[in-house]
Amino acid sequence: MPDVDILIVGAGPAGAIAAREARRAAPGLDVLVLERDRAVGAPVRCAEGVGDAGLREFANPDGAPWVSRHITKVIFLAPDDTEVKVAERDVGWILDRTRFDAFLAAEAAAEGAELLLGTEATGMSRAPDGRWVVTVRGPHGHDVYRARVVIGADGVETMVGRWAGLDTRVPARDMESCAQYVVQGIDFDPDAIYLQFGDRIAPGGYAWVFPKGPDIANVGLGLVALHAGGRTARQYLDSWIARRYPRGARTGYTVGGVIVHTTIKQTYTDGVLVAGDAAHMINPLSGGGIVNAMKAGRLAGHTAATAVCAGNTSADRLAAYHTAWMDLLGDDHLKYYRIKQALERLDDAFFNGLARTLNAIPPEKRTLGRIFAHALVKHPQLIPVAARFFV
Amino acid sequence: MPALRTAEVAVVDLDVCDRCGLCLPLCPPAAIHLEMSALVVDPVGCTGCHKCIAPCPVGALAMVPA
Repeated sequence: MPDVDILIVGAGPAGAIAAREARRAAPGLDVLVLERDRAVGAPVRCAEGVGDAGLREFANPDGAPWVSRHITKVIFLAPDDTEVKVAERDVGWILDRTRFDAFLAAEAAAEGAELLLGTEATGMSRAPDGRWVVTVRGPHGHDVYRARVVIGADGVETMVGRWAGLDTRVPARDMESCAQYVVQGIDFDPDAIYLQFGDRIAPGGYAWVFPKGPDIANVGLGLVALHAGGRTARQYLDSWIARRYPRGARTGYTVGGVIVHTTIKQTYTDGVLVAGDAAHMINPLSGGGIVNAMKAGRLAGHTAATAVCAGNTSADRLAAYHTAWMDLLGDDHLKYYRIKQALERLDDAFFNGLARTLNAIPPEKRTLGRIFAHALVKHPQLIPVAARFFV
Repeated sequence: MPALRTAEVAVVDLDVCDRCGLCLPLCPPAAIHLEMSALVVDPVGCTGCHKCIAPCPVGALAMVPA
């Protein structure tokens, strides 16, 4: 039975950064990353958008081959198609996740972490000495590893958390069902991301256009199935694209779930940490999870490495990871979740009215902060939302 | 004593399923498994709660009599 110090399940952003940071914190440790798919970063189940500041904490996007597009504007579309343009200088980036995830995995490997492709964890149990015994299935058949710490970076379907006895279940109201096409030959501002809200467009969520190039974009939506009247996310998306981009060529599609909840109550136990989507570390307002996953991976990798070096991988020691995450972003997500709940009670007429109010602000002054301030003055219904945000 | 049986269980249409894994954390008894080749619903573990049916982005899950 091969022994490793840290075994990471999943080579997405959380797992790759956890591996990189663990090796940087303790270069002598054996760090192994398991990836179920045969290639890191594929298939892409993501709209690929990230904020500029968050990304730069981990990698420099300027001229990087894993970037598809620099985004400088946000265009909100009301349910009645009224456009509200918001100009901000450095909104963010649309990644090429296939290349980006491979880049992160290569960085982890360069630090000395080992990566096994086409290899899935099939179960785990605790050995009498307190280490975890992880069974895996890969290209060479079944194998068993023994690890001092297991990091579950295994995404929305996380099994590591469940095997370790953590509660990673999601109520149906907090699961967004998403569908996305890559669409070519359509007309839009390639420096902007587009977000459209509306009960008939994406109930409980929103539809998006994220440019990958001048005439190619990720066009998708996420919705809450409880409000969708029995139609699937893909059916909603087909209707939306047929209306907005009838002449676009669909050259790829993906589907998936985004957990719009808050961080699981406990992200650690004896010898186990859970990070990223697996621990519901997604911004429940935006559905964004890439930077969050990297931040959690950095904390998890560092916490695991120092715990192994100290010879103490108990839950008491690993709890520091949970505290650090909640201080960094987890507590903010609790506030965002309350805002999301408040927004869900607003109807299409409200958003149409808000869009007209915002368009009365001169475009150069239309920053997100001003939008919020004006929205409060013109639409006092929003004040409870603001109160929840700032309290 | 035999386990209490449910009237219906979930089944997956593998021709439609994209193996995205969205349904796994929705399943209270963890009766859905994502394996390398396919999504699998354990008919014994399924309690017939329906929670996985509507959220599937492609409508790959359905209930059938147990």
